[in-house]
Amino acid sequence: MCAMARQTAGDEFRVSYERQGDDLILQMGPQHPSTHGVLRLEIVSDGELVKHITPHLGYLHRCFEKHAEAMTYPQVIPYVDRMDYLSAMNQELGYVLAVEKLMGLKEFPDRLEYIRVLIAELQRIASHLLAIGTYGLDMGAVTAFFWCLRDREKILDLFEWASGARLLYNYLWIGGVAHDLPAGYADKVMEFVDYFEPRMQELNDLLSSNKIFIERAATIGVLTADDAISYGIGGPNLRGSGVKWDLRKEEPYGIYDRFDFEVPVGSGEYGPLGSAWDRYIVRVREILESLKIIRQACDQMPGGNPNEAMPRRIRPAQGEAYLRTESPRGELGFYLVSDGTEKPYRCKARSPCFTAISALNAMNHGGMMIADAVAVIGSLDIVLGEIDR
Amino acid sequence: MLQYFRNIWEGFWTPLVGLSLTWRKLFTPAVTMQYPEERWELPMNSRMQLFVNMDDCIGCLQCERACPVQCISIDTVKAIPDEVEEATTGHKKRLHVTKFDIDMVKCCYCDLCTFPCPTECIYMTPSFEDSSPDRYGLVYHFANMTPQHAAELVEKARKFDEAEAAAKEAKGSATATA
Repeated sequence: MCAMARQTAGDEFRVSYERQGDDLILQMGPQHPSTHGVLRLEIVSDGELVKHITPHLGYLHRCFEKHAEAMTYPQVIPYVDRMDYLSAMNQELGYVLAVEKLMGLKEFPDRLEYIRVLIAELQRIASHLLAIGTYGLDMGAVTAFFWCLRDREKILDLFEWASGARLLYNYLWIGGVAHDLPAGYADKVMEFVDYFEPRMQELNDLLSSNKIFIERAATIGVLTADDAISYGIGGPNLRGSGVKWDLRKEEPYGIYDRFDFEVPVGSGEYGPLGSAWDRYIVRVREILESLKIIRQACDQMPGGNPNEAMPRRIRPAQGEAYLRTESPRGELGFYLVSDGTEKPYRCKARSPCFTAISALNAMNHGGMMIADAVAVIGSLDIVLGEIDR
Repeated sequence: MLQYFRNIWEGFWTPLVGLSLTWRKLFTPAVTMQYPEERWELPMNSRMQLFVNMDDCIGCLQCERACPVQCISIDTVKAIPDEVEEATTGHKKRLHVTKFDIDMVKCCYCDLCTFPCPTECIYMTPSFEDSSPDRYGLVYHFANMTPQHAAELVEKARKFDEAEAAAKEAKGSATATA
């Protein structure tokens, strides 16, 4: 039992842990298929047991926040897309709403508000599908991944039809949208919803109710509600711990208060509350809730020109604004400071994945194995593009 | 005890449910496409490759300014009044565009350049099979002018400016003397 002090540079930034003589420091990543991007993990392990994990970030750093200061407000939107490239529409929505708050714009055509909700919820489904699929993949269930991607493609087709791009859309603009939805779009979306609902049942039969999968996931990566709140985690990761907190309900932005939907929370059916399986099943249930919202949005979609209130020049007055939205990964906030010019003086993004990855050690209650570390990271559904920005 | 056997039963049964699903999927048609032979139809507004219709370009530089990654570079020369043509939209082409390069390597396909264009001469096309063995092959030169022609235009514009300045000076001195 000899506690060894580490003499490397930057030691003061590390969380202190007691390193014993037989410990092995394992470097996982940055080019590792299970780290969901370029994330490097420094795992202090004792045999198979994980004692401490230090995530090392920065491999995908692109200076988004500094770079945004050199560009006009609309020019930032393509970069916002590239933050969380799996839910680009939700990122755009967060940024766009923040700029609108900064400019003091409030009144928008109903059609624009409905388009935003419809698009954001479709993107939430696409993002959750990928999260579910890759989580199965992390656990060794390969088929579910293909099925999820097959259905995600249908959503991307819908987005391509509306915006012209499949992944990085630049579709939601400040006070408007790039193009109005094509004629018959709501019918196509309803067609997709009708096609997709039975597929979701298939996916549940294949993966969610698979005993082997449940046994594997329901006992690992337990994140208690207190830990989740004190780390500032939001979204499905927080709701998996049993906390009923959804910004769409608590602080409805846009017109989310007009829709009828539930907030699914984890209940610890097969193990301790807040386990990896709880986070997984919250995503599955959220997909079904998003489908409800999409149905309502399609039914109520009004006509008209969505770009009626689009400002011609985007030059907010001096001031600052912070707005948070519920992205598929949690609470996404944008803090903007304007100095009265066409470019933001400061653009700070509050990333949900960053807080999620920082809670990695709080999920280790002593019995985490190295193989569990992969499963726990997968259950957090992180996107490195957003962590590093 | 009962739980023990139930776990065993579920451990067998639930994977079997999944297997029966995958077994049924074996007999459904594949959703993938054999790409070069089969293609899906792209929507008209697909954002794949930028194209500039140079006949309509008036050299206003709005696309260059809108670009967040500076992938468009344009050079213009003032046209002398006799040579001013009209674009098909009726805009006067007061500038000759001697260089209109788009670096598709830098392009982020955001479509921001196409909206401010007054003559709608720059737009995204649905053609996407543009690859090149080196990155300079993806720099597209849209201006259809030889360097000699461009130099001639520069010279012409310079001479016109000089002549105008001389005329102005002569007029100025004339008014001064009068």
